[in-house]
Amino acid sequence: MTAAGSYFKIGPARLFVHLAVLLIVIVWLIPTLGIFVSALRDKDQIVVSGWWTSFVGSTQTVAVRLGTPDQQKQEGAIYVISGNVLEGQGGRAVKAFGNRVQQPAAFKAGETADLGDGETLQINSDGSYRYMKGTAFSPDERPRRIYVSVSAPPEFTVQNYHTVLTGEGIGQSFINSLTVTIPATIIPILIAAFAAYALSWMEFPGRALLIALVVGLIVVPLQMSLIPLLRLYNEIGTMLGQPSKTYPGIWLAHTAFGMPLAIFLLRAYIAGLPREIIESARVDGASDFEIFTRIVLPLSFPALASFAIFQFLWVWNDLLVAMVFLGTDKDHLVLTGSLNALLGSRGGNWEILTASAFVTIVVPLLVFFGLQRYLVRGLLAGSVKGG
Amino acid sequence: MKKSFLMSVAVAALFAGAASAADLKFAPGQDSKFNWKSYDEFKAAHADLKGEPLTIFGPWRGEDEAFFLSVLAYFTEATGVDAKYSSSENYEQQIVIDTQAGSPPNIAVLPQPGLLADLAGKGFLTPLGDENSKWIKDNYGAGDSWVGYGTYKGKDGKESFYAFPYKADVKSLVWYVPENFEEAGYKIPTTMEELHALTDQIVKDGGVPWCIGLGSGGATGWPATDWVEDIMLRTQPPEAYDKWTTNDLKFTDPAVVAAIDEFGKFAKNEKYVNGGVAAVASTDFRDSPKGLFTVPPKCYLHHQASFIPSFFPEGTKLGQDADFFYMPTYASHPELGKPVLGAGTLVSITKDLKTARAFIDFLKTPIAHEVWMAQSSFLTPYKGVSTEAYANPQMKKEGEILTSATTFRFDGSDLMPGKIGAGAFWTGMVDFVGGKSAQDAAAEIQSAWDGIK
Repeated sequence: MTAAGSYFKIGPARLFVHLAVLLIVIVWLIPTLGIFVSALRDKDQIVVSGWWTSFVGSTQTVAVRLGTPDQQKQEGAIYVISGNVLEGQGGRAVKAFGNRVQQPAAFKAGETADLGDGETLQINSDGSYRYMKGTAFSPDERPRRIYVSVSAPPEFTVQNYHTVLTGEGIGQSFINSLTVTIPATIIPILIAAFAAYALSWMEFPGRALLIALVVGLIVVPLQMSLIPLLRLYNEIGTMLGQPSKTYPGIWLAHTAFGMPLAIFLLRAYIAGLPREIIESARVDGASDFEIFTRIVLPLSFPALASFAIFQFLWVWNDLLVAMVFLGTDKDHLVLTGSLNALLGSRGGNWEILTASAFVTIVVPLLVFFGLQRYLVRGLLAGSVKGG
Repeated sequence: MKKSFLMSVAVAALFAGAASAADLKFAPGQDSKFNWKSYDEFKAAHADLKGEPLTIFGPWRGEDEAFFLSVLAYFTEATGVDAKYSSSENYEQQIVIDTQAGSPPNIAVLPQPGLLADLAGKGFLTPLGDENSKWIKDNYGAGDSWVGYGTYKGKDGKESFYAFPYKADVKSLVWYVPENFEEAGYKIPTTMEELHALTDQIVKDGGVPWCIGLGSGGATGWPATDWVEDIMLRTQPPEAYDKWTTNDLKFTDPAVVAAIDEFGKFAKNEKYVNGGVAAVASTDFRDSPKGLFTVPPKCYLHHQASFIPSFFPEGTKLGQDADFFYMPTYASHPELGKPVLGAGTLVSITKDLKTARAFIDFLKTPIAHEVWMAQSSFLTPYKGVSTEAYANPQMKKEGEILTSATTFRFDGSDLMPGKIGAGAFWTGMVDFVGGKSAQDAAAEIQSAWDGIK
């Protein structure tokens, strides 16, 4: 089919939509790509140039030190220190060099430069050099610093990932994160599903008020309730002779923080289920519990799955609640906490931030793709709803 | 970085295992540059604590954490205490939450006396007693100042000594690359007037003198507060500086405004700073020293505290590739001597236990300082340590600046209330660099201070 043919088949309006979607996807993907590329670059490179410059070779001017005076050899009347300025750096070539930082590329590679004081220096493009002097180099001289312009091919490294993945306690904190996240996802869904059913299909006085109250709780910022809640836990913990910062504590905290939104979302879905089904079940003599487990739960699986994704992502990415309710000691540190600790006291390590972003994203992606088919099924179920 | 990171992993891994003599970084009794006698004495005096718990919470993470753990290993080895260290990115908030909710650690280490005073005022800290304050006074360089920074009003309004200083940073330093200076024929300035002349000379030679970066995420602006504090100490008597940190000398006072303006002479001159004035506020403080090391250099001078070599490019050797000089004083103010601006971490007891007291005693042994000194990034005003233990001559030089200080003053912004020292002062400096006049910026900070009551 020709391009023109496919154009007429698609139509201009649809083409516009496709292009718009493509544009949005690209705009959204660029930052991700930037993080991905930065994570593969050396930390010193990240600071000096943008990630988009990393795909082409570059010329860098760097300072290097020549050999120490104790490496000097006498060759006839002259003393020579020789070596290679590109030691251990394959694929690079020297283009120019200089001996003053103000003019770092004064001499072309292969030239013999007169450095004054009877000293001469020759650097070839392969990096080998000969530093010559008529008299012996004094042994207490510090190694001479010179400057070379080096052309370098594009370079990438997996060192950052290695640093992040082999960081101390990462494995333990991965397990800690799962220990926190899985119950903290399941418990609120269980409770919220019961509540949502009751709030949508069971008649009792004050129901509307209760719904309004629950919805109202969504706006309470969790930062505000951290200290009172932790104090409550501490007091109960002391009463029961238990330490205050435990896994059940953080499960309860996440459950409480997630509950208003969970009830709100699930109630909206469950209230929208066809009244006929529920009523005919009632007529057939089903109790509320039977209706809930046999009819409502299976029908609202898509809503449960989508809320599970929300809650899972939020708990997995959470740092604040975990730090407060679980503490900061090694045995309880969650993944976000221990990746954060890798940054050191003053932070600013872009290479670790970018690499750990990709490490933490793995589990949420698995969860998302794993539950995605339920979301699709949920959409389909919605399309025949009420039929 | 890679190497030191692997090393820190190794140290931490060692620490995670059962504590035994083999885990100690330097075997006791071997290297004579350490005061092993103090360690043995401490060990003998605290033999009755085996298996008892101790939790420590502090600001050190990453590399610093590994260093601290290597010091802590000596404490656990000597006493048998089951000590646990932890930290958090927002340790200032974390400690407030934990103390208020009633689940504090035994020991809290914090770099802000202002915050500690706040905690002491609410009754969350345990006084350390007179014998500790006397010990600091006798054994630390400028001991009286240090005692002052650890003494706060308690819940009952009575002043006591609450925080034991351990680990210090020197702030009054200017970093440079010796060979850049030699090749251009520049000399290290010994007075502020010479520093101004050198700055002009570099501009005349076609270079850019300074790298200044104020960026630091939510704390953007703090490097500028160090500048202003340094200039305050060099133009005003120390008493005026003290009054300034307690709001008895207003920000709008001509002395303070002049100090801000003096900083502006460097930071607000398009030709003086790398990238121009617009880059000052937007450059991250961690990235800004890298301009010293580019070829050709993007700048020749960088004003920053003693910790900054952690952010020099990998492989930079102090003394050879980079060095520092003391931020000079004004020839026109000879009466002010050689003031030193610094910062430090202070150790306080948030939940009293026998083991916590033993830990404070441990900090009084030279070995608790020397083990960290011998590795990296640790300075101490303790006069009893063997300075041979410093990992390199540069650190030794910095340590001597501390112990020989005639006037030592703590970083003023850490002493001011959090809303000013960690808020209005920072943003005020960013506004100032962004174009506001010193008078207006100072007035804004002052009005924020007046607003706290």
